[in-house]
Amino acid sequence: MPRATEGGPSDASGRRTGRSRKVSQRMAVVSETDREQVTNARLAALETDGGLQDNFGADSDAEFELQDSDQEAELGDQRNKRKRKANRQASRKTRARAGEVRGHKAFAVLLEEADLDPDDTQPNYLTAAMGPPLDGTPRRWCSVCGFAAPYSCARCRMRYCTRKCYAVHCDTRCLKFTV
Amino acid sequence: MAPSASGQVVVLDDGGSTIKVGLAGQSDPARILPNATGKVKGGPQLLIGDDIDAQADISSLSIRRPIEKGYVVNWKAQAQIIDRACRGVLPHSTKGCSMLLTEPLFTLPAIQEARCQAVFETLGCQALLTLPAPLLALTQHCAEVPNLPASRAHCGVVVDAGFSFTHVVPIFDGKVMKSAVRRIDLGGKALTNYLTELVSYRSMDMREEAYLMEHIKNAISFVSTDLKADLVKAKTSSKLKVEYVLPDGLSLARGFVREPVPLAKGETRTEQVLVLNNERFLVPELIFSPSDIGLQQAGLPQMVADSVMATHPDLWPLLFSNVVVCGGLATCPDFQERLLKDLRPLVPDHIKVDVWKPKDPIAAAWQGGSRVGASAQFAHLAMTKADYEEDGIR
Ligand SMILES: [Zn+2]
Ligand SMILES: [Zn+2]
Repeated sequence: MPRATEGGPSDASGRRTGRSRKVSQRMAVVSETDREQVTNARLAALETDGGLQDNFGADSDAEFELQDSDQEAELGDQRNKRKRKANRQASRKTRARAGEVRGHKAFAVLLEEADLDPDDTQPNYLTAAMGPPLDGTPRRWCSVCGFAAPYSCARCRMRYCTRKCYAVHCDTRCLKFTV
Repeated sequence: MAPSASGQVVVLDDGGSTIKVGLAGQSDPARILPNATGKVKGGPQLLIGDDIDAQADISSLSIRRPIEKGYVVNWKAQAQIIDRACRGVLPHSTKGCSMLLTEPLFTLPAIQEARCQAVFETLGCQALLTLPAPLLALTQHCAEVPNLPASRAHCGVVVDAGFSFTHVVPIFDGKVMKSAVRRIDLGGKALTNYLTELVSYRSMDMREEAYLMEHIKNAISFVSTDLKADLVKAKTSSKLKVEYVLPDGLSLARGFVREPVPLAKGETRTEQVLVLNNERFLVPELIFSPSDIGLQQAGLPQMVADSVMATHPDLWPLLFSNVVVCGGLATCPDFQERLLKDLRPLVPDHIKVDVWKPKDPIAAAWQGGSRVGASAQFAHLAMTKADYEEDGIR
């Protein structure tokens, strides 16, 4: 597995370099897990306090968290549940540590402690989560230029539309996540 | 138990991005401040709320938000921000005042406990009423359009598309039908980060300027009402292309949007320009189709249909006739139109569908809160400090 994520081309600060290194180490495992982690990390990154940089604490790196991914959708429902649970548990650990540093608990920890039942007949936070889309085929946009993309990358499954965009994809974002 | 007449009711809409504050009975919030604390790199001073707006050099600023995933996880910081927000609105401090505070649906008991402690003990309020923002937004909408049958029944579906998440909340007779509420974990924050990601790969690395990106997103985004046509337009013409001239911190303090300015031969640009094309509509598109980025949750139109159809069929006509959009994303051009267009085919033909937007979709929840805070309802519903000391949270 090539360590493609080591330092992106536009690593502006030491913080980012540090972060991508961590990811590349974690990704030195099996490829299916890799892809999932990349999707999850990307979704988690969309949740970070981009608003202004939240970078003066130890928690800036605690970005691996519970989100469903592309890949999970292709698996059976049961497996889905188990996987999600495993994901949650992994992320909780990271989150909990971040919380200790901050002096308050992260939402994922509070949620865990609340011990909610996703199948409860009384509505709660988990039951309110919207389910998957009904209309089967997801739309496919080129990850580089945004237009309709007929092809997908063999390594990471992200979409691309032309050879030109594929080259950019390989250079800048294949198995990488950044915001 | 009625709070004593001496206490003024202060109304706070505690949002993930900003906190809106003012006295009950007013038509608009008196102040809107960042709901965050911050520090300048290397500086010892803690910045609270509006201090952040006053910072000239955004690039050296780090901030923390008390709200994570839409819920207040840090009540210590939140109390400090509320205390700051109330200054200049209340004559003295929050001590002895009554408070109406928005709180998201399904707030965890541990968070509610911390909230009561902060409000009654740290801030010294003497009465507190918490209500979900969507309910207050509907109150405001019903007051703006009072003759609607659904308004008279205080009934409707609120689409609250805020900073942290997007909720669809059906309400009947002024009560939230909790079992039919739907949430997707996508809001304005994720959209800004997504736009940042797109432009950072396509044109310029903006990852260190997320605050500016928030502004750019608001300035350039629109919701497509015909995605295929807009994609073709973006690919084959420059009709949708705009330029955002970036502030340089010297001669240009604020950025702005302009029509593309072509360069003459041999000419070079002196200003830094971000060219935006299909990003303008593909970013808000995420709310309509979260699976585009791998989030396995249905988009907004299906959420609304799913939510209403989880209620009793007798209510469907009333609910679908009064779909109300609010929150920051509701201000994005054509948001309302697109929702209607995509929702219509998901609803049985004989049922009328109408999508409404309050006059001020961002302030609507505060405005509704202002109405409730000024009414007799407040004293009837509020928990007093004595109640809290006797029974804890209810
Ligand atoms: Zn492409
Ligand atoms: Zn790839």
